[in-house]
Amino acid sequence: MTLQECYAALGGDYDEAMGRLRSERLVQKFVLKFLNDGSYQLLCDSLAAGDREEAFRAAHTIKGVCANLAFNTLLDSSEALTEALRDGRPAQAGEEDLIARVKADYDRAYQAIQAFQGGVAG
Amino acid sequence: MKNKTARFLVISLIGVALLCVCVFSFLAFHMSVQSARTINEVGTLYMSSMSQQISIHFESIIGLQMNQLKTLADTIPSSEIHTSRTLQENLIAQAQARDFTYLGFCASDGSLEMLYGSQLTVTDPQPFLDSLNKEQQKVAIGTNASGEKVILLGAPSPWPSAPEHDCVALVVGLPAEYISDNLSLEENNERAYSFIIRRDGSFVIRTNDAYRNNYFERVHALYESVNGMTPQQYVDALSAAMDQGEDYSNEFTMDGERYHLYCTSLPYSEWYLITFMPYGTMDSIVTRFSREWGSLTVLSAVLILAALLLVFYKYFGLTRQQLRDVENARTAAEQARKEAEHANRAKSEFLSNMSHDIRTPMNAIVGMTAIATANLDNTEQVKNCLKKITLSSKHLLGLINDVLDMSKIESGKMTLNLDQVSLREVVDGIVSICQPQVKAKHQHFDVFIHDISTENVLCDSVRLNQVLLNLLSNAIKFTPDGGEIHMALYEEDSPKGDNFVRTHIQVKDNGIGMSEEFQKHIFDSFAREDSARVHRTEGTGLGMAITKYIVMDAMGGAIQVSSRKGGGTEFNVTLDLEKALVVEEDMILPSWDMLVVDDDQQLCESTVDSLKSIGINAEWTLDGENAVGMVLKRHQRGSDYHIILLDWKLPGMDGIATARRMRQELGDNVPILLISAYDWADIEEDARNAGITGFISKPLFKSTLFNSLRQFADTPQADQAAEPQEERGRDLSGRHILLAEDNELNWEIASELLSEEGLILDWAENGQICVEMLQKSPAGYYDAVLMDVRMPIMGGYEATQVIRSLDRPDHDLPIIAMTADAFAEDVKRSIDCGMNGHIAKPIDVSEVMRLLGKFIK
Repeated sequence: MTLQECYAALGGDYDEAMGRLRSERLVQKFVLKFLNDGSYQLLCDSLAAGDREEAFRAAHTIKGVCANLAFNTLLDSSEALTEALRDGRPAQAGEEDLIARVKADYDRAYQAIQAFQGGVAG
Repeated sequence: MKNKTARFLVISLIGVALLCVCVFSFLAFHMSVQSARTINEVGTLYMSSMSQQISIHFESIIGLQMNQLKTLADTIPSSEIHTSRTLQENLIAQAQARDFTYLGFCASDGSLEMLYGSQLTVTDPQPFLDSLNKEQQKVAIGTNASGEKVILLGAPSPWPSAPEHDCVALVVGLPAEYISDNLSLEENNERAYSFIIRRDGSFVIRTNDAYRNNYFERVHALYESVNGMTPQQYVDALSAAMDQGEDYSNEFTMDGERYHLYCTSLPYSEWYLITFMPYGTMDSIVTRFSREWGSLTVLSAVLILAALLLVFYKYFGLTRQQLRDVENARTAAEQARKEAEHANRAKSEFLSNMSHDIRTPMNAIVGMTAIATANLDNTEQVKNCLKKITLSSKHLLGLINDVLDMSKIESGKMTLNLDQVSLREVVDGIVSICQPQVKAKHQHFDVFIHDISTENVLCDSVRLNQVLLNLLSNAIKFTPDGGEIHMALYEEDSPKGDNFVRTHIQVKDNGIGMSEEFQKHIFDSFAREDSARVHRTEGTGLGMAITKYIVMDAMGGAIQVSSRKGGGTEFNVTLDLEKALVVEEDMILPSWDMLVVDDDQQLCESTVDSLKSIGINAEWTLDGENAVGMVLKRHQRGSDYHIILLDWKLPGMDGIATARRMRQELGDNVPILLISAYDWADIEEDARNAGITGFISKPLFKSTLFNSLRQFADTPQADQAAEPQEERGRDLSGRHILLAEDNELNWEIASELLSEEGLILDWAENGQICVEMLQKSPAGYYDAVLMDVRMPIMGGYEATQVIRSLDRPDHDLPIIAMTADAFAEDVKRSIDCGMNGHIAKPIDVSEVMRLLGKFIK
């Protein structure tokens, strides 16, 4: 699996990432680092603990990382969740769907990158 | 005054009316008396002549018979004795031939010896005998054997009296009817009739319905009144007149009818003829005459009164009109006097204001010049003085210009210098003049134009500018900081014809407004609302007077003001301007599809119309969310808009955020232009970051649109790639940058990318660590801080505030926000917190370098 195929699988824009980071080496480096990023775990833990402020910050961070890496699918869903959590807003109808979407997109990205990592390793 | 005249007129009218009635009543009364007297006189005259005629008639009849009798007597020879047979026969024959009914001899004792006819008796023999004995002819009345009345005529006999045959006269008889028939005592006149009476009132001949033997008895019985006398007085007067042989005339009333009577003596007898005539005939004539006279009198009186009334009424009306005229004239004079006084007072006030207003800048100039002279070595001080002198001079020049304009207006010397004017240029000019003032007062200023069909008109641009400047500078002046000022311009068909266009200019603010009272005087010369809140405000008070003169008198337009104290002011100017006959530039662009986004529907529609007229098909929408949706839809269909016009201020998502979203969807291919009424220097940076291609300034005239869009016609996006390079030239190698970022991945990316640019980066995991690291570093070690906003323990905003409050010489080092939040309010907030700039994630190295280059000294 190439890096491009990985981006296609997780719904990102490889060209955009290349435009920003300028080398495939860097893109690959940071994409692989995404697997170790704790923001997603923080988001899940905060939501489970009911700490909406921390959850907002975590979602916001995911959004920032995705923007940098041009993971546009996860960027969209995390951005929507960020707005829902912004300024300590109370839970609205449909928030569960947003969280579910973020989880689905994250899993998709995670699996795609893992698959890519396997390819690189192998 | 009015009432007095009216009372006088009413009283005189009543007086004249009374006088009129009196005079006419007197005339009527006099006439009726006069007519009664006339009737009397005419009656008397008529009666006397009638009586005379009857009397003459009587005399001639009796005379005739007497002559017959004389002739008869003369036929007898005086030698013969009357007793002789032959004589008697002879007499009888002759008497019968003469139609005498009776014949006889009368003895001296009055006894009658009849020759033929029945025996007669003389009714009153004594006067008859007395006359006969005196050998006078006499008439008497007698009765025959059957008691019928007989007229007796006696003539003295020619024979000597013999003792045995006493005979003194020859007597013949005629029936009483002979006289009454011949005299026509009854038929003489329809109504008139006569009696013959003796001295004692006894009737000789009775006619009509008289049945009594004595007239006097009849008088007593029937006469109701005799001209104011009792019947007895009348009888006495009549008897006295008969005794003296005079005629008597009088009038009386019987059976309700008035009669005239006339009494005269008859010859040959002791008799009196008394004639009566009822007034009826004459009375009716005279009564009719006097009734006519009476009605004529009344009619004349009424006519005169009516004429008087008319004259009175007219005169009254005239008087009232005069009074009214006088009153009006007085009021007008009073008004004029007040106005003159007011104008005079205003002028005096103006002069005192002016002397103060002129003296203030003059003092400043004189004072500042003195200070500058004293500090010639201190360049800074001199510069400052010169700046103040310049300001004061400008103010003074403005005052003098206004006063000169006003005096030009007042002497009628202000004329328009008509020339071809572009409304766009005028408005653009005005907007750029007002922009600094608006900015200084932090006011919201918006220019709105729509339905502009003709941009080029014939007008005096200097004066039009003056009007707009006056209105706008007043709006700015009288609107507090942060207030709103709107200017609108639109056109419609002019009632003056196809060569003209009616142009409306509206200037509206939400400032201090004006009192009702002041609005009435706002266009007066030298007017300025006299209250504490405007005393601070400078100005001559001539601006609006000049404006009004230019708009209404010179340009023939209209100006209206509506305002409420504390509720803002709105001025509306309407001008009918002649269209300038210029060949307009052929403004045609390729038939692009465009999108116009503005929260004002009218502006959208108007802009779309203008675009259509230069060949562009445009759609519009009112908010950013919709716009993004529409752009996306076109994008998916593969037919992107060629150009997008975006208003900066939109409800919900603002123009910059909308542009950013669009860029995400569209990439860089489609130019997005931001519409703004403002000088866009402040927002340019953010706008460029968000992907705005360029700016287009309000108001959106057709030519504005054309000129702004034309650049995209030849080489679309040609200038785009080149631009970002402009500010990148600076080499920042070796600079120390502190980067606060909680996410390791993000830090690594940033570090990796920026290190390549030669920067030396240190990582702080949150705001607090960032502050601590800065504190530990020597002053000036870090050249800048890149600050994430959302961090645990201490956020970016907080950290910035702490750094700014540090007691270090480098506490004001550049701090640039770097965050995934890119809303306008986030940008604003980061600036408010003391950050110098704002960069949106994902990280754009060139943008980071541009900003660092801009802020690092």
